[in-house]
Amino acid sequence: MTIVHAVVIAAAFIAVLMLLTLRRMHARQALARSAAPMNLDIEPSQPRPEKFSFSTHAGATIEHQTFGTPSEQTGSSEVPSSRPSSPQTRPSIRARLAMFSAGRLRRTALRRSAQQGGEESQLAMPDGFRATARPLQEDEQFLNTLELLPFAVLMTNQHGQIVLANAVTEKLFGYSRDALIGASADLLMPAWQANFHVAQPADMISLPSIRPVGAACDLVARREDGTEFPAEITANPISSGSEHYTLTVVIDRTERYELRRNRQQLAHLTRVSTLGELAGSLAHELNQPLTAILSNVQAAQRFLTTQPINLTEVREILQDLVADNHRASEVIRKIRALVKKGEFEAAPLSLASVIGDVALLVHSDAIVRGIRVLLTISPELPPVHGDRVQVQQVVLNLLLNAFDALQSRSTQDRVVVVEATHDSAGMLRIAVRDRGTGFDRDKLDKLFMPFFTSKREGLGLGLSISRSIVEMHGGRIWAENNKDQGATFYFTLPTGVAAKRARSPHQP
Amino acid sequence: MNELPPIVFVVDDDDAVRRALMRLIRSAGYRVEGFGSASEFLDSRPCTHRTACLVLDVQLPGLNGLDLQRELNAASALLPIIFITGHGDIAMTVSAMKAGATDFLAKPIGDTDLLRAIETALRNSSQAVTSRIELDSIRGRLARLTPREREVLALLVEGRLNKQVAFELGIAEKTIKVHRARVMEKMEAHSLVELARITDKVGIALSRSQPTAR
Repeated sequence: MTIVHAVVIAAAFIAVLMLLTLRRMHARQALARSAAPMNLDIEPSQPRPEKFSFSTHAGATIEHQTFGTPSEQTGSSEVPSSRPSSPQTRPSIRARLAMFSAGRLRRTALRRSAQQGGEESQLAMPDGFRATARPLQEDEQFLNTLELLPFAVLMTNQHGQIVLANAVTEKLFGYSRDALIGASADLLMPAWQANFHVAQPADMISLPSIRPVGAACDLVARREDGTEFPAEITANPISSGSEHYTLTVVIDRTERYELRRNRQQLAHLTRVSTLGELAGSLAHELNQPLTAILSNVQAAQRFLTTQPINLTEVREILQDLVADNHRASEVIRKIRALVKKGEFEAAPLSLASVIGDVALLVHSDAIVRGIRVLLTISPELPPVHGDRVQVQQVVLNLLLNAFDALQSRSTQDRVVVVEATHDSAGMLRIAVRDRGTGFDRDKLDKLFMPFFTSKREGLGLGLSISRSIVEMHGGRIWAENNKDQGATFYFTLPTGVAAKRARSPHQP
Repeated sequence: MNELPPIVFVVDDDDAVRRALMRLIRSAGYRVEGFGSASEFLDSRPCTHRTACLVLDVQLPGLNGLDLQRELNAASALLPIIFITGHGDIAMTVSAMKAGATDFLAKPIGDTDLLRAIETALRNSSQAVTSRIELDSIRGRLARLTPREREVLALLVEGRLNKQVAFELGIAEKTIKVHRARVMEKMEAHSLVELARITDKVGIALSRSQPTAR
């Protein structure tokens, strides 16, 4: 019964809210229509800033939605009037921009306060608001600068509400400035408050410590039409008089992410194709525990028919069955992990475990090719900081290359040594050493270039992808001929501590 | 000599597989011994005068299964081999069977297939070991003969009479009789026919110019 009551009350509440919203929308439209005259009233000496004159196409679209006129018409009809070419006035574009911005801002502030009445306490009192907003928001130089910046800049007050937004912001997010002012920054960047903002004025003192000044972080930003895009966001606290604001710079990182995604996809594709080459070997790795399971079960069946039943044997068989089963699922897990299409996930990694996993995947491939793989990884090495799958991909690639290099070698030369040691401070170095034929001097430099290959059926992508992975981790990859025979591929990875220090928060 | 119970050797580098196979073979009542590599098996110097067979993984690190088979053949070890493999191809199978493998089974292996193969292998081994023991015994007896007795034996099994042997060797017929009695005694033969049969088994050369090989 109480649930039913609650639902009814909730429904009633929602209905009231909807009504209020509708009313507010009507009011906003009415106000918007009367915006220009109001502005003139406030600043009679200023030439009338033609409506929308600097609004971008995206901005125009929004206005069109508000007013119900086609955006193209709005845009085209206004462009001529927007040109500050009148010989009488002829202020510089900068000055005009500044005036426009100032006028517009004030207009918006007024409008907001008028429309909201007493509903929202933060912006309720026009006098109070103006008093706090005046110094910065009326600083023409400041506004002027903001307007000319090639990226989206918005200023929020201590409540996280947008008090200022430049033209690029309108264009980038598709909202008109009118819609932005007073809205929460979370409207544009859903995680903004959580990352940059201190909700309560009481915490204002601690604001600068929320995030180091100027530190950028990658957040998801949302346009007016609901589409999302990756953005690099930098927020800095600024003070104006006794008021504290946050100046947020938003840079669209769609292209960078696109590039990153393409690279990840390429890495994934080569990973999958490598695993395809290993298919026979992987099937064998899976077949081994299956063989053990079948034989164990059939042995148990036989032991159970004898009297007295050998319980010790049966108990051991059951234990082994569990282990065999785990082993089979481990193989599947490892394959799946490499096939998985994943975002870059950096975490502390034990090199012994990462390299051990890869060694297991190539184990039977090595046996079939008659190659011994020797791992010398001291267990006390600190963990490296990286993406497990991608580091494994590099190791896998280098190991299989080494196997190929040994194709024509005699039995005693068919050895691949994998070593992990300390490199420079905060870095570990992994070496994959073969006793193959080595490389010509001039080829050593080209090895890591895309589409360079010395194999008949090679694509020439493995090493180039390995390089991009290693560099993305903040490491280095190179090859050297051994003094006696064959070649060694090295790559370095930062340890956890070094990675935290060195790695910038957003890498391509 | 063939008093030791039959034994099955299992050589597989995979601990889990080896343990399971050993258990399955044990559950059928056989003695079983496992090795992790070909060299480990060779180092154990398995007794060849014993009914035994080898369950051998083809893909082994280091010396692989086919290599081990070659080594055992070279040492004429008489050990029937049942190959097991995770991914065998036709060429591999043919080469193994040509070299005398008893069977070639794909993993995972059904118990009936494996145990039937083991049964066959052990039967072959038993026969081989019995005849080898007999041959070794005959060779041992032959080794006890003096060169002169050897000459006498060679002529006797050719069907010569004492008189002819005496003439051939240029010694008295009386002396030949003594040699002949010694040969019969040392070769543990009760009649001339039995002596001929025993001698034939080891394929002793009957000609005096090639006393040990036919």
